[in-house]
Amino acid sequence: MGVTTARRLAIAFFVLQAIAVTYPGFLPFSRIEPRVFGLPFAMVWPTAWIVASGLVLWGLHAVESRQREE
Amino acid sequence: MERWHVVTAVVLGYLLLTLVVGLLAGRRVSESVEGYVAADRQFGLLTMYFITGATIFSAFAFMGGPGWIYSRGGAAFYILSYGVLGIAPWYFIGPKAGRLGRRFGFVTQAQLVAGRFPSRSLPALFALISVAAFVPYLMVQMSGAGILFNVVTEGHVSFEVGAALAYGVVLIYVLAGGVSAVGWTNVLQGIVMMALAWALGLYIPMHLYGGVGEMFDRLIEARPELLTAPGLDPAGQPWSWGAYSSAVLSSAIGFVMWPHLFMKSFTSRDDETLRRTVVLFPTFQLFLIPLFLVGFAGVLFGSAPETPDHIMPHIVLNTGLPALVVGLFCAGGLAASMSTGDGLLHGAASIAVEDGLLPFVKLNDSQRRFLMRALVVCVGALAYYLAIVQKQSLVALLLMGYGLIDQLAPPVYAALFWRRATTPGVLAGLCAGIVTNVFFLVRADLRPFDIHEGILGMIVNAVVLVVVSLATKPQPAEHADAFVAAPEHPLAEGVRAGT
Repeated sequence: MGVTTARRLAIAFFVLQAIAVTYPGFLPFSRIEPRVFGLPFAMVWPTAWIVASGLVLWGLHAVESRQREE
Repeated sequence: MERWHVVTAVVLGYLLLTLVVGLLAGRRVSESVEGYVAADRQFGLLTMYFITGATIFSAFAFMGGPGWIYSRGGAAFYILSYGVLGIAPWYFIGPKAGRLGRRFGFVTQAQLVAGRFPSRSLPALFALISVAAFVPYLMVQMSGAGILFNVVTEGHVSFEVGAALAYGVVLIYVLAGGVSAVGWTNVLQGIVMMALAWALGLYIPMHLYGGVGEMFDRLIEARPELLTAPGLDPAGQPWSWGAYSSAVLSSAIGFVMWPHLFMKSFTSRDDETLRRTVVLFPTFQLFLIPLFLVGFAGVLFGSAPETPDHIMPHIVLNTGLPALVVGLFCAGGLAASMSTGDGLLHGAASIAVEDGLLPFVKLNDSQRRFLMRALVVCVGALAYYLAIVQKQSLVALLLMGYGLIDQLAPPVYAALFWRRATTPGVLAGLCAGIVTNVFFLVRADLRPFDIHEGILGMIVNAVVLVVVSLATKPQPAEHADAFVAAPEHPLAEGVRAGT
């Protein structure tokens, strides 16, 4: 994957996240069930986005580093 | 020996350790403004990771986070969401700002913006906004430290003395070591606050209710309204989605615009360090989870604290934890307060001199450093006086701060990404944004859809910026290009200069 594509995908991911954790994107997920590790789903949802963000940023960084080495 | 003796001894030991680390770190940098404000641009990944995390997570996260969960339930989930959304743009902006800083010698955010948009009123406005937003923020950190000290020593150390002790230490190492001391103490403080938060957050639900899942089983029975977003407002009524969503967005956009944080892009050694800091930041953000668990534990707890913000120390003191743990908890809370307060203190003084004075008065390097140190003392004393002696209510001031900081976003983004932006456009936008922000702060009843005043101000700010810029004469192409293109490799820069 090229750097430009990776950057665009990362930006798209964060725009999607901004919608998913606010109105109206959060609406269908702001509920108690299903519970994960005992936590209500409304708390798991933003947490999952934090974890996913870490992975996306790590992926973007990996693509950029490889490009720089070439 | 009574329990509060042990607690006080642990806390004093921790303060001493912080002081030693701060003083040693200060000896590592040169005697110059670049050394005092930007640590000679030598911070590596370890320092940058903790400086970012520990600066962002303040006494508000440590005490206010659990307090919000306790009183407002899912409303607090907004704090989970804005951090990562807020830091992500820094992956692109941070290295770019850092490169421009190394090239043109910038040490503050306003110098970067005024470098692109030459004007003396622009940095002065930035300085004004920064100080207006920093002082109340610093006041919150100081009273946080005072309250913590007072509560864990069961009233034996007064609020005034506790805050003075913690901030006396901060003052000494900031005066002596500048940002280098801030950075290295933040490494220590970041580790302490993270370790304490995770340990307590997992231990307390286990100890009180037999586990996290069991605790939530009981909460679903007792208070299900606390478990979903947007939670409750301060009065205990359901909060609106408009307010919840715009709180996320306003905080996310303002996040890296806080000048004391933005300035840290000038302290890092290279682009790579900044990018890695952003990649690792989500690991720091997750430390809110254990803090939230403590807040939820408080909901079912037998007794209630004085105010929701005291829920964390209240539980720690009343669950029969050993004195050593209570002392360490207090150290963790103080770490959260001090690691934000030191950056604010140092930032306010540096910005006031570099942006508020330097454009108008000629000062040499040692005069600037002297003035910064004098201002560190003045700002510290002012915040202490207002917060501790006068016990001013901070809520209104602090709210104004957040909205004002949002107004810095359009000028910064325009400086880095939009060639056609002009100085009159940026100035007009900034003024319009500030006025709009203050208007909707005062007349909260007129806000459309309950949207945060910072967002409303920023929309007006951006529109005015674009319209006025398009109506005025464009900047010379090579001037705008130096900022917008900002070549990534030194090699590319050389090639460009050669052609």
